[in-house]
Amino acid sequence: MNLLVSEGRPPALLALEDGTTFAGWSAGAAGETFGEVVFNTSMTGYQEILSDPSYAGQIVTLTYPQVGNYGVCEQDFQAPRLHLRGLVVRDMCHTPSNWRATASLPELLRSHEVVAIEGVDTRALTLRIRGGGAMRAAISTMDLDANSLVARVRQSPGISDRNYVADVSCGIPRTERVQDRTRWHVVAYDCGIKQGILDGLTARGCEVRVVPWNTPARDVLAFNPAGVFFSNGPGDPGQVWATVEAAREIMGKKPVFGICLGNQIITLAAGGRIEKLSFGHHGGNEPVANLLTRRVEITAQNHNFGMVFKSLGPLVPDESGGFEEHERDLRLWFRRGVAPVVRNPLWGRIQLTHVNLNDGTPEGMQFLDIPAFSCQYHPEAKPGPSDSSYFFDSFVQLMEEYEGRETHA
Amino acid sequence: MPRRNDIRKILVLGSGPIVIGQACEFDYSGTQACRALMGEGYEVVLVNSNPATIMTDPTTATRTYVEPITADSVERIIEREQPDALLPNMGGQTALNCAVELHRRGVLDRYGIEVIGCDIVSIQTGEDRELFAQAMRDIGLKVAEARIAHTAHEAQVAAKEIGLPVVVRPSFTLGGAGGGMARTTEELDRIVAQGLDLSPVSEVLIEQSLEGWKEIEMEVMRDVFGNGIVVCSIENLDPMGVHTGDSITVAPCQTLSDVELQRLRDYSLAVLDRVGVACGGSNVQFAVNPSNGDVVVIEMNPRVSRSSALASKATGFPIAKEAALLAVGYTLDEIVNDITRATPACFEPSIDYVVVKVPRFAFEKFRGTSETLTTRMKSVGEAMAIGRTFEEALQKVVRSLEDGHTGLVDQEATLADDAQLAELVARPTSHRVYHVAEALRRGWPVERINELSGIDPWFVHRMRDIIIAENTIAAAGLEGLDAPHLLAAKQMGFCDARIAELCGQREDVVRAIRRVLGVRPVVKTVDTCAGEFAARTSYHYLTYEAGGSTEHKRAERERVLILSAGPNRIGQGIEFDYCCVHAAYALHDEGYETVMLNCNPETVSTDYDTSDRLYFEPLTFEDVMAVVEVEQPAGVIVTLGGQTPINLASRLKAEGVPIMGTQPEAIDLAEDRGRFSRLLDSLGIAYPTSSVAQTQEEATQVARTVGYPLLVRPSYVLGGRGMGIVYNDEELASYMEQAANVTPDHPVYLDAFLEDAVELDVDALCDGSQVYVGAILEHIEECGIHSGDSACCFPPFSLSARIASKVRNTTRRLALACDICGLLNVQYAIRDEQVYVIELNPRASRTVPFDSKASGVPLAKAAARIMAGRTLAELNLPPEDRAFGYFAVKEAVMPWARFPGTDTTLGPEMKSTGEVMGLDRTFPLAYAKTREAIDYRIPMEGTVFISVNDRDKRSIGPVALTLANLGYSIVATAGTARVLDAAGIPCERINMVSEPRPNIVDAIEQGRIVFMINTPGSHRSRGDGFRIRAMAVNHGIDLVTAMSGATALIQAIAALRAGSLEPYALQDVGPIKGEYPS
Repeated sequence: MNLLVSEGRPPALLALEDGTTFAGWSAGAAGETFGEVVFNTSMTGYQEILSDPSYAGQIVTLTYPQVGNYGVCEQDFQAPRLHLRGLVVRDMCHTPSNWRATASLPELLRSHEVVAIEGVDTRALTLRIRGGGAMRAAISTMDLDANSLVARVRQSPGISDRNYVADVSCGIPRTERVQDRTRWHVVAYDCGIKQGILDGLTARGCEVRVVPWNTPARDVLAFNPAGVFFSNGPGDPGQVWATVEAAREIMGKKPVFGICLGNQIITLAAGGRIEKLSFGHHGGNEPVANLLTRRVEITAQNHNFGMVFKSLGPLVPDESGGFEEHERDLRLWFRRGVAPVVRNPLWGRIQLTHVNLNDGTPEGMQFLDIPAFSCQYHPEAKPGPSDSSYFFDSFVQLMEEYEGRETHA
Repeated sequence: MPRRNDIRKILVLGSGPIVIGQACEFDYSGTQACRALMGEGYEVVLVNSNPATIMTDPTTATRTYVEPITADSVERIIEREQPDALLPNMGGQTALNCAVELHRRGVLDRYGIEVIGCDIVSIQTGEDRELFAQAMRDIGLKVAEARIAHTAHEAQVAAKEIGLPVVVRPSFTLGGAGGGMARTTEELDRIVAQGLDLSPVSEVLIEQSLEGWKEIEMEVMRDVFGNGIVVCSIENLDPMGVHTGDSITVAPCQTLSDVELQRLRDYSLAVLDRVGVACGGSNVQFAVNPSNGDVVVIEMNPRVSRSSALASKATGFPIAKEAALLAVGYTLDEIVNDITRATPACFEPSIDYVVVKVPRFAFEKFRGTSETLTTRMKSVGEAMAIGRTFEEALQKVVRSLEDGHTGLVDQEATLADDAQLAELVARPTSHRVYHVAEALRRGWPVERINELSGIDPWFVHRMRDIIIAENTIAAAGLEGLDAPHLLAAKQMGFCDARIAELCGQREDVVRAIRRVLGVRPVVKTVDTCAGEFAARTSYHYLTYEAGGSTEHKRAERERVLILSAGPNRIGQGIEFDYCCVHAAYALHDEGYETVMLNCNPETVSTDYDTSDRLYFEPLTFEDVMAVVEVEQPAGVIVTLGGQTPINLASRLKAEGVPIMGTQPEAIDLAEDRGRFSRLLDSLGIAYPTSSVAQTQEEATQVARTVGYPLLVRPSYVLGGRGMGIVYNDEELASYMEQAANVTPDHPVYLDAFLEDAVELDVDALCDGSQVYVGAILEHIEECGIHSGDSACCFPPFSLSARIASKVRNTTRRLALACDICGLLNVQYAIRDEQVYVIELNPRASRTVPFDSKASGVPLAKAAARIMAGRTLAELNLPPEDRAFGYFAVKEAVMPWARFPGTDTTLGPEMKSTGEVMGLDRTFPLAYAKTREAIDYRIPMEGTVFISVNDRDKRSIGPVALTLANLGYSIVATAGTARVLDAAGIPCERINMVSEPRPNIVDAIEQGRIVFMINTPGSHRSRGDGFRIRAMAVNHGIDLVTAMSGATALIQAIAALRAGSLEPYALQDVGPIKGEYPS
């Protein structure tokens, strides 16, 4: 909201680790917050972004300048709580309009005690993050002294210093039921699972037992699910060794599917390496090539970490179009029309199935010798395009095939 | 999939003349397509009858045919060129219709031509409403309930089933021509009659009304592999019921949640899939019920469109270029994003600003027609603005229109009482945003305005915020605005002039204070990706941000700023964009970094790769100065963008801005009638006697001394607005009464009118010491018809060598005396072998592109080089008086069918929207081509109706005789019949409209009349002639309203009888064959 329209809003200050500060006005709860500042380029879907537990520990900058236009709609929450650290926008809408809206965005932020700032040149901020990488930052409505706030940002802990998954995961197991007929019983490791994923599973007849991130594998296997799902979640995958351990025990025994952090957990369970991207992928317009269908999908993404494909093992030339060397830029595989296969010391052959066309990073893989696959982005979208919703169908199909194999074995 | 190598030569169809509903957006898309295909090494054969386009530059395609886009004409070109493929989806509805017709006639099969980019079946599914509705039902999408009708009765039955109100949409017409909303059975009858008439297949659709629903457009691209992307979503501020071309539109969509928007995205891709768009760009329109989210598919266009041009400019994503590449086999992932040059085109642009487009109308030129906006498009142009908020973009775009609005304020709106205002808020018109603003000023609640107008509360709230901010500014006064508050005002889009109005100050005071407070705009970039990746192109806009972080990059070379022409309007359109684009090309070659400034999203000039840098900003003093201050250009070009930059010239110079080319002093000299007359006197050059009157009495006095007829016009308007010709005291008195507020500040000019004089348009170049006359154009219609509405011929078809030489000589003397540096245009009247100067324009004129195509000399490029310091001698242009061996005719295209109720005669006020060119061996053949290009069928037999005024009674004899000899039968009204009888020409007398039946009305309705010659008796009468002309327009009967036009038409008919038309490629007729000076 413009200064000429509303005088007397409390001022706020955004400070970055690199010393940059942006003055603005409070657009949410009063207070002070520290976190890693990232940007998201989705033009709609602010509510889904804010309620995505993967943003725990982060201060989210929305690049689209007018935010809150259609208010808050009950059905669109991705989690019951807002886990992000703070929100930065250029212009906040206090008078939304949409037939489903039940509240305004500032009302939501205040009721969930999320600190937010408006009036910031979010494009300048975005270019700064693009240049300097995701960095520590703070929003304060209390400390408006630039030097002081910058100094305190520099003393704040980094994103990798904390296990945010423990913060956002459910404390006790719960069950998401299917509307019509339950076809499958699935266990989902909740590292910060989005409602959109649960909806994607239940819509396909999967009753989902949602369990805490650190549930031991034996408890899950004792439940004898048709498949096990590893969810998205916040922070550094290096913090969730308990989940990685569980994955290692479950893989090969049950069909496994992972999204985002889940993809990283499965990578670690296969002995692969994870790297931190400089400013990550956060938006609803990332082109991803499906190496199996040759189609391009427009995808929703939200991650700062990603797997290193070559760390999964050496190429199998016979199944990789005769190529023996790993490529730095995985887009080459798309151009070659080849979905390369590596030989993993733990799980046998793993095929690269999806590649990001913007920067050539891996986006999805399938295990050829055990029933498991995963993707780095969000096939459930929420927000974003639904091009990749077939992943959920693939999971169901995998469970079907596996069950068939089991009963015929 | 890589480039296709099995095709070599591609035929591209343009969209023909600029008409309402199909404007220069197709020059933009067609030019992109031709360039992309040429860049891939294909031979491109282009057909487009519009000479004002960049597309028809001889360098844009391999073979350029400025020929009619009709099946007959294109077939002749196909026969000659033998292309392998046809790309029909770049030239709007005209090109699609032509492709369908070529297919229907079997031409495509006969010559083995493959249609690329879309196929005929998908065009038909997209266009045929019943097929489309069925297709949508197949994929589970809702369409508005509808019935097809072929008669008035069928329409009434359908409306009864659906329930009134209903929307009437004629099949296969441009921009929804002939459609409308019917609330009563009477309205239904009227609109259906019109629609059946305009539809080439005599078919209308009677459709459920979705009034008040949100209207959303999705711009979609798809490749042969089935990859689909949504480039942009566009939300109409006006709800359903107003043609999207006439709506204020906003990108991206503002009021839909992600859930709702993603659903529309899924639907859009499914629609393309079902309709069978193999590859390319399409647009899909939806209606969304604001109270429950219900979605109905309105229509889809399987081609690039006005909204795809807007989406391209709004996002930086070049839809037409990519569509052309997709058509020759590439897939989206194989095309690199031009802006980032690092990421593929297969992505969905994300933008971090708000874009608002506002249409520009010309109702003042078409008196008598309704100004209510309907599903039938009436606007003649549009402006677009980019801001960081909707509020900023809206206020920017309103001033971009150049129609006197500084913000959301309009004097007329303030005069309405509350009841009137409620009616004005409810009725969609070109001024509705001002009425909404006025209602907000009166404190009306947002809910009430939403109920009345159907405009979404979000938009109304944002406008309310603007009004609150206005109150804050007014209350604070200029002295009360500190830097943060002034910055906040600028962030909301208030221009200095508006802040000045609100504070009771002068604009320059606001400007000065703003500079003292350091409130300056920053440069932002349009980069398709919201800053995620670095942009390699310099497509910018200005905005205001706290912190002042700017993306301006220092240039290596000296910069030239080119001011373009702003929104298209009647009298200032694509021709000026053409000139600016040529200047950008030429000056880039001269080693400058070119900077383009414009706010018209339809144009080639606002393509990010036309110039080195592009600023998408309004063309006001403040906005131009802001760009000047950022870029510090070595020179600013003001003489190529029409009147818009000319009007800014002296203010810019006074601020110390270096003006390149002709200086503002010379502009003042030419525009100040007193000074210019004195100059002509001193040079001994003749001009029509003229005078000025401030009162009725003075006017009568002038009439006594100068004598009738008189050409009269108000002093304060340009472009022939409000001009008239009066023949007697009575007409003069009534003109003075109506001609608006004549005051000492705003006197009326009265010029002796040279009746029956031949008018010439001359375009010339001057470098300060030498003059080159680029073209002398001979008008076909006589003096008194606006030069923009008159057909003209190059080289002159009847001018003596002596007069031509005298005209060249006079032009030379004038150019030097006025100190012209660059282009000038002089209009002459020739009567009794005497040469009179009518006016001089010290700038590029509307005819420059036509001259350049007809003569082969690119005048605008030459002018730009001269402005940059080159001499004419260096340019090495061909001799002025060289022989050509062909004639090129330019004919104006009139929008009569769009404005029912307005008179259709030609006069001193320009009303045409576009032009076509015909080129052939003789003048009559060239003229015949222009008729074919405008789609006037030249009837080769039948009955001609003749009714001429008393002045023309003497000259009708020879015309009628020729018609009789050509085998036409003639019917004539009493007075005319008497003259023909006397001349011994057989004719049948027919009653006028006001006389007893059977009369001419019956003859027209029986379809007996094939064309009409009707010259108006009085320039203000709404009598019989007016009604006959209106009927001619409604029945699509060829109508000639001037004797000169009648003569030319008859010559053309005779020439057509003698032999058929031969296509000419521009590359074959250049003065230096095949070689064009660049």
